[in-house]
Amino acid sequence: MASRGGGNSPPPSVSSPDVRPSSPLPATNSSPPQSGRRAGGRRRRGSASPYPSSPSLGGFETPPPPGRCTPSGAGAASRQQRQNWTGRFPPTPSTPMSTDDVPLSSEAGDEDTPETDGAGAGADATPVFVWGTNISVQDVNAAILRFLRHFRDPRDAGRVDPVMDEGKYMRAIHRILELEGGESLDVDAHDVFDHDPDLYGKMVRYPLEVLAIFDIVLMDLVARIEPLFEKHIQTRIYNLKSSVCLRNLNPSDIEKMVSIKGMIIRCSSVIPELKEAVFRCLVCGFYSEPVMVDRGRVTEPHICQKEQCKATNSMTLVHNRCRFADKQIIKLQETPDEIPEGGTPHTVSVLMHDKLVDAGKPGDRVEITGIYRAMSIRVGPTQRTVKSIFKTYIDCLHIKKTDKSRLHVEDSMDIDNPNANKTTEDDFLRDKVEKLKELSKLPDIYDRLTRSLAPNIWELDDVKRGLLCQLFGGNPLRLPSGASFRGDINILLVGDPGTSKSQLLQYMHKLSPRGIYTSGRGSSAVGLTAYVTKDPETGETVLESGALVLSDKGVCCIDEFDKMSDNARSMLHEVMEQQTVSIAKAGIIASLNARTSVLACANPTESRYNPRLSVIDNIHLPPTLLSRFDLIYLILDKADEQTDRRLAKHIVSLHFENPNIEEIEVLDLPTLVAYISYARKHIQPLLSDEAAEELTRGYVEMRKRGNSPGSRKKVITATARQIESLIRLSEALARMRFSEVVEVRDVVEAFRLLEVAMQQSATDHATGTIDMDLIMTGISASERQRRDNLVAATRNLVMEKMQLGGPSVRMIELLEELRKQSSMEVHLHDLRSALSTLTTEGAVVIHGDSVKRV
Amino acid sequence: MVGPQYDLVGNPLGAVRATFERAAVAAAAESGGHEPVAAFRGKDWGAGEVFRSFLFEQGGLDKVPVLDESNLGLIKPNTLVRFRGMVQDMLGNEFYVGAFKDGSTWRTNKFSDSSPFSMPHPCDSHLWERHLFHCVPVPGQNSWTRESSPGPDVRRMSSCLTPEQREKRKRGADNDAMDVSENGNGEASSSKKPKDDDVQISNSSLEMSMNEEHVPEINGGDHHIPGSSFSCLVKVYDMAESQVKLNDVAEFIGVYTFDPELAAPSDNSDDIMFDLIEDVTAQLPPSKVPRLHCLVWRNLSAHDFLSRPPSVEPSPILLKGIRQSLLSHLTLVLGKDELAAQCLLLHLLSRLRNKVDVVTVGRLSLNFIGFNRESVSIFGNQLNNLIQRLLPYSQAIPLSIEYLNTATLQPRKDNHSGRLVTGVLQLPQGTHLTFDETLLQSGSLTSKGVENTMLLKNLMESQTVEYDFEFYKLEMATDVQLLTLSEGKSNILPSDLIVPFRPSSVPAVNANSEELESWRWYLATVKSLSQSTETETYQIIQDEMVSAMQDDRSLGCSELSRWLTMAQIMAASFGENSLNMNHWQMVKELERLRKERLQ
Repeated sequence: MASRGGGNSPPPSVSSPDVRPSSPLPATNSSPPQSGRRAGGRRRRGSASPYPSSPSLGGFETPPPPGRCTPSGAGAASRQQRQNWTGRFPPTPSTPMSTDDVPLSSEAGDEDTPETDGAGAGADATPVFVWGTNISVQDVNAAILRFLRHFRDPRDAGRVDPVMDEGKYMRAIHRILELEGGESLDVDAHDVFDHDPDLYGKMVRYPLEVLAIFDIVLMDLVARIEPLFEKHIQTRIYNLKSSVCLRNLNPSDIEKMVSIKGMIIRCSSVIPELKEAVFRCLVCGFYSEPVMVDRGRVTEPHICQKEQCKATNSMTLVHNRCRFADKQIIKLQETPDEIPEGGTPHTVSVLMHDKLVDAGKPGDRVEITGIYRAMSIRVGPTQRTVKSIFKTYIDCLHIKKTDKSRLHVEDSMDIDNPNANKTTEDDFLRDKVEKLKELSKLPDIYDRLTRSLAPNIWELDDVKRGLLCQLFGGNPLRLPSGASFRGDINILLVGDPGTSKSQLLQYMHKLSPRGIYTSGRGSSAVGLTAYVTKDPETGETVLESGALVLSDKGVCCIDEFDKMSDNARSMLHEVMEQQTVSIAKAGIIASLNARTSVLACANPTESRYNPRLSVIDNIHLPPTLLSRFDLIYLILDKADEQTDRRLAKHIVSLHFENPNIEEIEVLDLPTLVAYISYARKHIQPLLSDEAAEELTRGYVEMRKRGNSPGSRKKVITATARQIESLIRLSEALARMRFSEVVEVRDVVEAFRLLEVAMQQSATDHATGTIDMDLIMTGISASERQRRDNLVAATRNLVMEKMQLGGPSVRMIELLEELRKQSSMEVHLHDLRSALSTLTTEGAVVIHGDSVKRV
Repeated sequence: MVGPQYDLVGNPLGAVRATFERAAVAAAAESGGHEPVAAFRGKDWGAGEVFRSFLFEQGGLDKVPVLDESNLGLIKPNTLVRFRGMVQDMLGNEFYVGAFKDGSTWRTNKFSDSSPFSMPHPCDSHLWERHLFHCVPVPGQNSWTRESSPGPDVRRMSSCLTPEQREKRKRGADNDAMDVSENGNGEASSSKKPKDDDVQISNSSLEMSMNEEHVPEINGGDHHIPGSSFSCLVKVYDMAESQVKLNDVAEFIGVYTFDPELAAPSDNSDDIMFDLIEDVTAQLPPSKVPRLHCLVWRNLSAHDFLSRPPSVEPSPILLKGIRQSLLSHLTLVLGKDELAAQCLLLHLLSRLRNKVDVVTVGRLSLNFIGFNRESVSIFGNQLNNLIQRLLPYSQAIPLSIEYLNTATLQPRKDNHSGRLVTGVLQLPQGTHLTFDETLLQSGSLTSKGVENTMLLKNLMESQTVEYDFEFYKLEMATDVQLLTLSEGKSNILPSDLIVPFRPSSVPAVNANSEELESWRWYLATVKSLSQSTETETYQIIQDEMVSAMQDDRSLGCSELSRWLTMAQIMAASFGENSLNMNHWQMVKELERLRKERLQ
């Protein structure tokens, strides 16, 4: 009995009113272990009936805490009375329970028969009320029976199926009977409400009483269908109409049915609880009848019951013949979203029984339906004074896992536990998801998302769109051959200082799951430890830390990318294409997953971007690495007074005590995060045929643009890498709309984004055309042509002026000659590179500053 | 209710119960005997009023002893005490039998752990709730706040202590065994006769048991909160929990109770399953952690720590004078480096004023560069001493590799014990932290070290500290002033304002206490000044910003924002309510001088 009413634990010496081998209930002794508590419920039910017969005793609305402090006869009796009830509920205040002295055992036994009969309830002429409540036993009995028999799921209404003719729960009962396995009947509280709001109200207000009747009705029903079915079926109510916030549980909720959401933070070990003990006589080997355990107490038979033996004190417990039930206590804590600012999460203990044991693990988010209970704090057994403090816990009826943990952590673990929850749909998230879906249907969702990303930073709308694509990501693809294509989009921001690049990065870091923010200055890509270094000259301290491994499946934001050491940067090659990181340590090479999108930002080498130089020249990054970025944005400070004014206005408004910034419709951060996570998790868009066609067409067009007629030189405007980027971008764009299909407009927008980025970064400033070679090799086609010309000129010069095996000529002299000859500007380093080309041709030899023809 | 019939300090519960019974009778008459006290749940029936008027209107506050470590064993249970501390952990709600019917009278257990009247059994009763807060002395609280807090000095204690006890208190904290026994005697010979005999009896018995086991344990010093030797479990009634926030500093005035029964360990063996239901308070034995049933509480601000609450209006002229004296003192402490002193003043006056997304407005963390170990030992110590004497809470943290790798900065929830284990960064609003980075050498950080640096960086950049709740992290907003002393610019602790420190003399100054007091008042007052600047000024500043950006393209959002912050603090430092262009120009001049030094 104590099983259910965990708090009950009475003094061990009390003899148990529940151990009533003479009980007329067939289920009492034959029920399987896990039904023990239910059997108690039935017996308890029996004792409910005397209440009306002794109404005068009720002067007290609230029974005192367990009566162990009153050893008087009356006290003991009252306790017994209550204990009889407490299989499920220990005595608690504000419960409608009587504390009258009723001689129970016999009376209860008598009453059991007519009531378990089911029909008997109806036959009784006088209405029987559970004391202190408005519950009429017969009415409730009939209402439950009606509900079970006749409730039909409105969703089934359309179907015409002879089997469906029965009510939803009758079918469930039949299923349980057929399978012989199910021990519980899950009852959706919404169904109860739809069928009979009054019954629902009673059930929530007086769950102990109503559930006891529910069990009896259920058993009765089962007994009629299948008289031989012996297992006990428990009623598990779930899905209450309203759920309480953990922190709002208050004394008025005690003994009510509540539904709370929270996260399991601790589970006790499973506590085996002895239900039935079997003894064996050491003398003759006779096995006793199973003895029911009453609240942790077993009465050991003193005498061997075998007629021939009758040995005294010979009985010993046989463990493997005893029956045990499981019990567990878990701690439930509020989830972060329910905690008000400046508060700490509240916790509550939840008592789990039988099948519910181990239904949840620490870290799980669950919704628990149960009965809120309070019990008085234990005082030493000798204490007479009663403690005025109560402990509270929830007696769990039903546990349902909501989400694994955070919404956005992609977790492939199976969240379905057939025992705990048969409804796969996730109510907790359902309305949230609905809201997100509604959002996704907005026609301007793309713009709205763009606005919501770092709303404090304006302009840069196209950069933001690119960043959005990065957050949503494309579909990673793994071919059967083993080749895989990444779905992550890498972005590089290059720009002048003070253009809020870092702020964008910070924002992205906040938004992305498992985002890592690191400064390139001293980030080792792989290191799992970190190191503090000190600049010997300035004394500046720098933290070096490994970042990429940690941001697997996230966005790795690298600030000051240009300051990253070459060694670390070379690691990025592997990360950005293969998405792994190899670590060699102690002779072992480990390859770790680093499926991360890289968002890097770099400052130009000369502190300001020099528009006359290419991206490569502006930031000292190797072209090989640069080409791995899908989008490269140049964020230039254009010295535009309008922008400056806007910035100034923004700063001032931040400092204004009552900022009246014009409110634009934006999604708040949590919604945005939820939106992105949902899309990443659930939307896997595929290219439609038209979109694929458009992609091909656009790509070909891009390639064509390079060798436009009239232009002699061949400029590469797009490469195969770009088409991969385009696919990823268009997938991300489709995801933003929660669309499973990549449409033409996504492709068009992807082209636009790519072009905007390329126009900024891959434009050859000498000619004004887009040239992918700039990114791929660091040299634009026009530049290459210029160099070719120079080499040719130099060769001519060398041929003309110098003799084979003649004296060597100083480079400066050559330069002057060249300058005289050619119209174009020639620098020494240009000449040097030209000469080195000639050296490889074997035409000249260079010794320091002098050149010799060979 | 004119004139307390009860000795509110010596027997507060008597007053509570008397008012309750009176209110219950009145309510019963009104409601016709039906559930007369049900309406009192979560409400005050007049007891709080009595105490409030006694404490604040009749000057009773001074008569109430302050509960602290030194007098824990000396204060009688069930008397009125005061406790000043920081809410370190919120332990949730506790349900208790708030009211019960004893025969025909309704009695209450409010503001106590157990009733002096044995509860009849069974009886009519009501279950009420109260909130539990675990409070500790404020981390980093500077000694002047304690000296100057209007504590109960010896004379004022006379109302609740016997002459012998008074004697003890004069002798200070060396409460040896003799003290204790005398104390017990004192109680017995007490001339005060509480109204209620029951209370009297339970008091003395409790006193005895407390004398036997309580005091030695305190001396034994088994502490639950690292870095703090003393804590208090405050039970607060009749308020929404959201009114009190974690890390709030508050003064709780209420009934100190001591109930050894609660401490009695349950030795019942069939009890295993209750381990998890066990509530947290079980780990806070009353012998070590006193219980305080709060009748009245209030949040404390820096002003409340000033010894003499200012009677004068903070007029600009007055503030300007104090500003000048403080500034010259700071200059002397900083080796006649006036620029550094100006910046330090602005830094000391900064506070978090607004938070928009990731942007924090109003903070001004300061990094003095150009320190080495020697200069830190001279100037750093002077500076720390001064800050300690100026601000209510401050801490100096020596930032070394070892410290980063070993220190527990992050507060962490221990789900096993259900308590929040505090970390160095669990700080009340308005704390000042000084980091000495000159100690930092090259070396590897462990994962803990990395976590700690990330925490510090987050604190610097967004004024939040992540608390670790095992399954998730919770960001708590803070408002901490951060000063870093380092050799070069610190990249681990990125400050808003970097000032090269150029002292030209050795600090050799001492401020007298009067000056100190005026400076404290100045800092507290200026920080709390509200600002309202005309739109025109902002318009001019916008233009200024635009032209500044035209001149120097490297100026970014953060610099300009910092300028404005500095200008606003500058205005406030003169006691002005609104910013004018003078202040803006002063800040620009400061910036110019600072930039010169940086080159």
